[in-house]
Amino acid sequence: MKITSPLLGAASVALLLTLAACGGDSGGGSGDEGAADGGGEAATACEPSDGEVTLTFFSWVPGIEGVVDLWNEQNPDIQVEVQTGPNGNSGTYQNFFNQLEAGNPPDLGQIEFDALPNFRVQDGLTDIGGCEGVMESQEKFVDWTWSQVQLGEENAVYAIPQDTGPMAMFYREDLFTEAGIEVPTTWEEYAAAAEQVRENDGYITNFSTSDINQFAGFVWQAGGSWFGNEGDSWQVGLDSEESVQVADYWNGLIQDDLVSTLPPWTTEWDNAYNSGDAWTWVSAVWGANSIMSGAPDTEGDWRVAPMPTWGDEQAAGNWGGSTTAVFKGSEHPHEAAQFALWLNTSEEAHEALIEAANLYPATTEGQQLPALSEGVPFYGDQKIYEVFTEAGATVPTEWTWGPTMTQVYNDVSDGFSAAASGNGSLAEALTSTQESTTSALESQGIPVGE
Amino acid sequence: MSRPFRRRVQHKGAIAIFIGPFAALFTLFYLLPVAYAVWQSTRTVERSGTFGPAEEVFGGLTQYREVIADEAFWGSVGRVLLFGVVQVPVMLGVALLLALLLDSPVVKGARFFRLAFFAPYAVPGVIAAIMWGFLYSPNLSPFTGVTREVDFLGSGLVLWSIANVVTWVYVGYNMLIIYSSLLAIPGEVYEAALLDGAGQWRIAWSVKIPLVLPAIILTGVFSIIGTLQLLAEPQVFRTFSTAVTSDYTPNLLVYTTAAVPNQPLAAAFSVVLALATFVLSFTFLKLTQRRAFQ
Repeated sequence: MKITSPLLGAASVALLLTLAACGGDSGGGSGDEGAADGGGEAATACEPSDGEVTLTFFSWVPGIEGVVDLWNEQNPDIQVEVQTGPNGNSGTYQNFFNQLEAGNPPDLGQIEFDALPNFRVQDGLTDIGGCEGVMESQEKFVDWTWSQVQLGEENAVYAIPQDTGPMAMFYREDLFTEAGIEVPTTWEEYAAAAEQVRENDGYITNFSTSDINQFAGFVWQAGGSWFGNEGDSWQVGLDSEESVQVADYWNGLIQDDLVSTLPPWTTEWDNAYNSGDAWTWVSAVWGANSIMSGAPDTEGDWRVAPMPTWGDEQAAGNWGGSTTAVFKGSEHPHEAAQFALWLNTSEEAHEALIEAANLYPATTEGQQLPALSEGVPFYGDQKIYEVFTEAGATVPTEWTWGPTMTQVYNDVSDGFSAAASGNGSLAEALTSTQESTTSALESQGIPVGE
Repeated sequence: MSRPFRRRVQHKGAIAIFIGPFAALFTLFYLLPVAYAVWQSTRTVERSGTFGPAEEVFGGLTQYREVIADEAFWGSVGRVLLFGVVQVPVMLGVALLLALLLDSPVVKGARFFRLAFFAPYAVPGVIAAIMWGFLYSPNLSPFTGVTREVDFLGSGLVLWSIANVVTWVYVGYNMLIIYSSLLAIPGEVYEAALLDGAGQWRIAWSVKIPLVLPAIILTGVFSIIGTLQLLAEPQVFRTFSTAVTSDYTPNLLVYTTAAVPNQPLAAAFSVVLALATFVLSFTFLKLTQRRAFQ
């Protein structure tokens, strides 16, 4: 919007800050509270509230309303109101931060694993470790997910894991067969196949320069980690050996025009997959849904194979996966925690979430549900979830997310986009983000070590 | 001198009633947020350990030092200045031309065209940006013959593609301001010019344009302010063009920084941007007002 009155114009400078203004002193105040209960020594008291309780829950899982209805029918005293919106990095996280600053966040919110440290650093999460049933539920979850919601503290739990995103390769079986190209199993074969696909007027895939989660998944697979939080300071490893190796690989494919670089999640991008311009997509388990909705004309043509590997050893990356967190300031942490546990551990909720959004549960039991062992018609009745279950077991566990991922994604994405337009390389983007991340952490008083 | 003074005092209550609502809203939604932004820009966050509790402390000019050292910020300021130097004169030139055409006695159907020129302004900026995004798209545009050859969304052209959207939306609005100023010119002035033997061209050039100069300057100031504060168009373009970065315009950088969330730094960016806007608008007025408002 171009502002066309000087009064409005000048006011708009401050517009972004007006929400924050409503928060008044909460910035300083929350810091003090943080000091009181942020140590994780004793989990905060978590008592049931009296009478009827209404909770607000923000989520961008498609069809979440239907799942929550199941809860509402069985729990007349704890009614949950669903709020929906765009996915986290498309604006919802910013809303959460603004709402926290203003002191009126929803009771519960969907937060992806990569954003949890950021919300924790901003003191936006309630420790529900002391709530009934939370600690006991640990054994139900896949190990790496539980350590990510504890954020390095022993008795604290900052969210309940919801789903994970083990990665595999979606590919157009019909096009590969027709062109007589072998389905690649290593990244080396993938690059060779890319050239053959290009000769057939296609692109082997679209490399996402603006949704950096995919690239992070590739680095995760290669055994790297962008962050570490050992000891009293953070370590930043964006330009680590594994990270640069993956960057150089994709940089080569972009330079040789073997992959397209359309902005992801756009109509243009859907069109590339729907029209057969793009032949594969190395994506997470939830990507199965994206292809079905974005490329409806290709029904029956896709199959799923393990993602290409760097050597002989099987390993998969992870892309996405969410948690249900209770925000700081919720008046009903007990009820909120009960709902979060039901949503992410009960069989009926899991079945409904799988049905509605192909969510791949973070519990070991959930991953064995019958709904995840059936053939999927869109994928030629292939039992695609078996591929993802196997992939999930090979996801490296060292990966750690940093406390300023929004900034990291923006900076990497700016550098990657420039590289795709011919300015610089992916590796240079990582080097400059390494520097900008270090200074972003330091400017917020977050200690950075070697 | 004393009489009018006393009379004013008598109306004190009336004055308060008239000014009150404005003053209250102005304070609540303008002065307070600005003051809060300035206050916030002097804060800095301190903590200890990996997840240590945050403590906001007074940091003096720490954030401003970061702003001055921030290449991305000055890059974005340079980008919108370049944008403004080209787009504002083009837009105002077209607006003036359209206004003169509407005002010219030889043009038929002025009423229809007045509405037609103004219609794009009724399209919200975000919708306009999305619509043009489709028109520019290499594969989805109705004009793929052109868009496949010319990369309107690439790093070379995207700034001007955005300029085109902004011009399309706001040319009618600026035209209307200039046009209403043309309508306010008294008929005798034209009569005198006609008697002196001036044709329509001569009247437009020597009578109309000098008389509507204050309106043109006003639209100029609005446009300068609007340019420095470009946000919605580049933000929409960011979703379908990889060439628009998260720090493409100053306001986009403020938005990105607030999302980190690093509110003190975002506030410092905002304050510097507001000052720059003020200085630029004021300079423009100073440079032009001697000619226009005599």
